[in-house]
Amino acid sequence: MSGITAATVAAPSALSGGASVIAVGVLLAEFGMFRQALLRDQVRLYGAQSALISVLAVVVAATRHLPDLYALAALSFALKAVVVPVVLHRLLRGIGVTSSDPRWSDIAGSGALSPASSVLVAIAVAAFGFFTVSALGIRSPVLPATALSVSMAVVLVAFVLMIVRRDVVSQAIGFLALENGISLSALVVAAGLPLILEIAFLFDLLVAVMVFGLLIRVHHGRTESMSTADLTRLRG
Amino acid sequence: MSLALPIPAIQLCQVVTIAVAAPGVSGLISRVEARLQGRTGPRVLQPYYDLAKLFRKEALAPEGSSWVFLAAPFAAMTCYLTVPLLIPVLTTFGLPLGYMGDILGGGFILSLASFMVAVAALDSGSPYAQLGASRAKTFGAITEPVVLFVVFTVALVTGTDLPYALAATVRSSSGQIVRPAHLLAAAALFMVILYETGRIPVETHTGTTEFGMIEEARPFEHSGPYFALLRWGSAMKQLILYTILLNVFVAPWGLASSARASSVLIAIAALIGKAAALGVVVAVIDNSFAKLRLFKITEFAAGAFLLAVLGVLTLYLGGG
Repeated sequence: MSGITAATVAAPSALSGGASVIAVGVLLAEFGMFRQALLRDQVRLYGAQSALISVLAVVVAATRHLPDLYALAALSFALKAVVVPVVLHRLLRGIGVTSSDPRWSDIAGSGALSPASSVLVAIAVAAFGFFTVSALGIRSPVLPATALSVSMAVVLVAFVLMIVRRDVVSQAIGFLALENGISLSALVVAAGLPLILEIAFLFDLLVAVMVFGLLIRVHHGRTESMSTADLTRLRG
Repeated sequence: MSLALPIPAIQLCQVVTIAVAAPGVSGLISRVEARLQGRTGPRVLQPYYDLAKLFRKEALAPEGSSWVFLAAPFAAMTCYLTVPLLIPVLTTFGLPLGYMGDILGGGFILSLASFMVAVAALDSGSPYAQLGASRAKTFGAITEPVVLFVVFTVALVTGTDLPYALAATVRSSSGQIVRPAHLLAAAALFMVILYETGRIPVETHTGTTEFGMIEEARPFEHSGPYFALLRWGSAMKQLILYTILLNVFVAPWGLASSARASSVLIAIAALIGKAAALGVVVAVIDNSFAKLRLFKITEFAAGAFLLAVLGVLTLYLGGG
């Protein structure tokens, strides 16, 4: 009658469990971008993903007494969860993709695969990321190992997003999400990185946003569409 | 009230609780759903009146159908009456028959019930019933891997696949609740339950849009007491699945830890209360989303699969 034992796998502490949950939330936001058909929803998801990383940075700062990280979290929230999404939204509105004209509609370019298959491919790639990181056996003093595996999965899934989707904006979002994965892994393995370096990375991101903004504008100006499906010929 | 109930009586209580409360939970969901849409809606007790009415009616079988058509409702009902013996409905401790089968065993019995109903639908010769049966089996094959991965998560966490063990684990510490594997598995199971009970992202639960029907189309040709048994059975399946989600994964609290009559009564009340709360959540989901097109259901299933696989991965490779 009482042959029931409790857990055989030791549970993580509530704190590291919570941190892992936030990290998994980052990965789920990444998968959400696969599912979203509307470009502005993708941008919103990117904002949410960046906000989750800032929350994780605050958690690390509070629990490991690294006051630098508060500044970093605030700065990265301001840039990645507010400024970049606003810039992208304005860009989309500026070239009229929110109009009702189907040619310029807000709908992301159809992927090379159906959404269900692309999610399955992304699951396989994410599993590869998990296996790779666990084979490396890196232990971090500040965050559970799950967070590092998740960050690798985020980077790889972002690649899949950029490969599978056939429109410029999705590819830009994929690139920015890839950067989010890298900041997550930086948080795990190098939480004590000097603030000045972290800020330098963040401003690199702004350059990337500018480049992608230019690319989106030029591409739209030339082809009157967001799709990259017709970019098949090399020009000398 | 320190009267101790005999153990077999508690075991019987589990079955009776599920059987009696199930139509009420269905009635509550449709009532809440109607209120959210600004309608008055049916009484909460309406499903009981419907069942009573159907049991008094004449039963007809389509020409050319065999004994399978008439036997299936009884077989399905037997399955639904068996599963509550295996899962923690009222108690935290395993009852004698609770070790007859693990989570997979319960899953097999539920699939057997669904298989019998599908065979009867095919036997009826009605195109809509056959359509529903074929769709239910097709999408069942897609959601089955999700259930398997949820079971893997449970097995990795507890080292067994007994539902009682997972409930005990969840109660043991808060660290067990916030670990990502547990949350992901619970979310995946919830999505499977939405599919299995024919709720909104997959299917409109009530109504007469035959083209979108999956589960609801199968008993089209049954009538009278046979139809009543199928309706009752599907309400019981819903409450059984809710019980598994609530008493094993999400909220295994309020269960009786001893055989005292008072704690069993509290457990019955707690179960009905928790199921009603979950029903309200389901009704809100019903009203917040549109039904997916049939070909988009694979995306829904892929989402559930993603959650379940990530649960196993974080547990197995990340220590989450």
